[in-house]
Amino acid sequence: MFSHITVGAAHGSTLYVGDMLFYAILFIVLMALIAKFAWGPVNAMLKERADRISNDIDSAEQSRIEAEKLAKQRKEALDNSHAEATSIINNAKDSGAKERELIIGNAQNEAKSLKDKAKQDIEQERADALKSAQDDIASLSIEIASKVIKKELDENSQKDLIDSYIEGLGDSK
Amino acid sequence: MSGESISTFQFLGLTFNTTNLISGLVSALIVFCVVFALSRNLKLKPTGKQNILEWIVDFTNGILRDSVDEEEEKNFGLYAFTLFLFIFVSNQIGLFLQIAWNDVSYLRSPTADPIVTLTLSLITMMLAHYSGVAKFGFKKYFEKTYLSPFKVWLPIGVFTEFIDFLTLGLRIYGVIFAGEMLLKMIGGIAFSGGIVNMIVAIPLALIWQGFSVFLGSIQAFVFVTLTSVYISHKVEDE
Repeated sequence: MFSHITVGAAHGSTLYVGDMLFYAILFIVLMALIAKFAWGPVNAMLKERADRISNDIDSAEQSRIEAEKLAKQRKEALDNSHAEATSIINNAKDSGAKERELIIGNAQNEAKSLKDKAKQDIEQERADALKSAQDDIASLSIEIASKVIKKELDENSQKDLIDSYIEGLGDSK
Repeated sequence: MSGESISTFQFLGLTFNTTNLISGLVSALIVFCVVFALSRNLKLKPTGKQNILEWIVDFTNGILRDSVDEEEEKNFGLYAFTLFLFIFVSNQIGLFLQIAWNDVSYLRSPTADPIVTLTLSLITMMLAHYSGVAKFGFKKYFEKTYLSPFKVWLPIGVFTEFIDFLTLGLRIYGVIFAGEMLLKMIGGIAFSGGIVNMIVAIPLALIWQGFSVFLGSIQAFVFVTLTSVYISHKVEDE
């Protein structure tokens, strides 16, 4: 170092004070330029990135809480709908059973009344049939009797018949 | 420097060394162009070159983070970043590019000259001391720096500060200057004799250049680390 300075001095000067000044200014100018063109933008960008990341973390946390809330709500709704469905089914079953009983009761009543009516009808029918059969038999027997009477009106038989009547008369008294 | 002449000129009563001017300017230009190119088209989601820039920023911030707290890290981040890149480029530039004409080299590592490294060291020390005064006020700064742990420590305190300034600058100068000188000597061997010398010198130069790249990077790192340590001595409340 000292030989160097001596060399400098040999050229008719002392220390290179000018160099010191030059380097100081050069360094400051370089620093200013870097600050303007690189340091500032890079740091701004780094800060923006840091902010962005912390925001993202915050919003992720928020989303998670919201999602949990939604899941809970959904679960509740699902449970509710289960209960509701059960009650609806139960209601439907109850009303179905009632309806069935009603229908069956009605049907039974109707069937009974129909049966009764049918019975009555049959009775009526039978009575009518019997009556008409009696009439038919009476007229038939009269006809047969008249035919028999016409054909076999001979003396013997007439005599027997009359005898039997007479005997009958005596018995009835 | 042996026997090499130096080109100087006078301006406003000050002496300037042309070599240092050119070398420093070229280094600064390279630093600025690289940083400028890397910082174009910044995106929230980093890609390619932006990753490189962010890595360098993170690297120099990490050096600061080791010795100062978060608030100071923000204050000195730009300084550490610029310092590191400038010293790094300055250290490396002489390894692959040296321009000499009429026995005067016009382009070499600016950090191979003690005046340059001591200037950088002075900037660091001034910044550190200024920050100390700005933060604690002159009285407390003075007590903290020079009168601790005892009042009779004052001469040692002053001496320590001066030594810090000198070693910070001379350490890097020594390494880079020695590296360049050896490289020049190897180059001299290569061109002094026949083809045999050349064949021997090429791998030697290669190895030494590789080693110098390593040393230059280490020195840039050490310079910024020590800068942050000195700053932390001044601004941290023990």
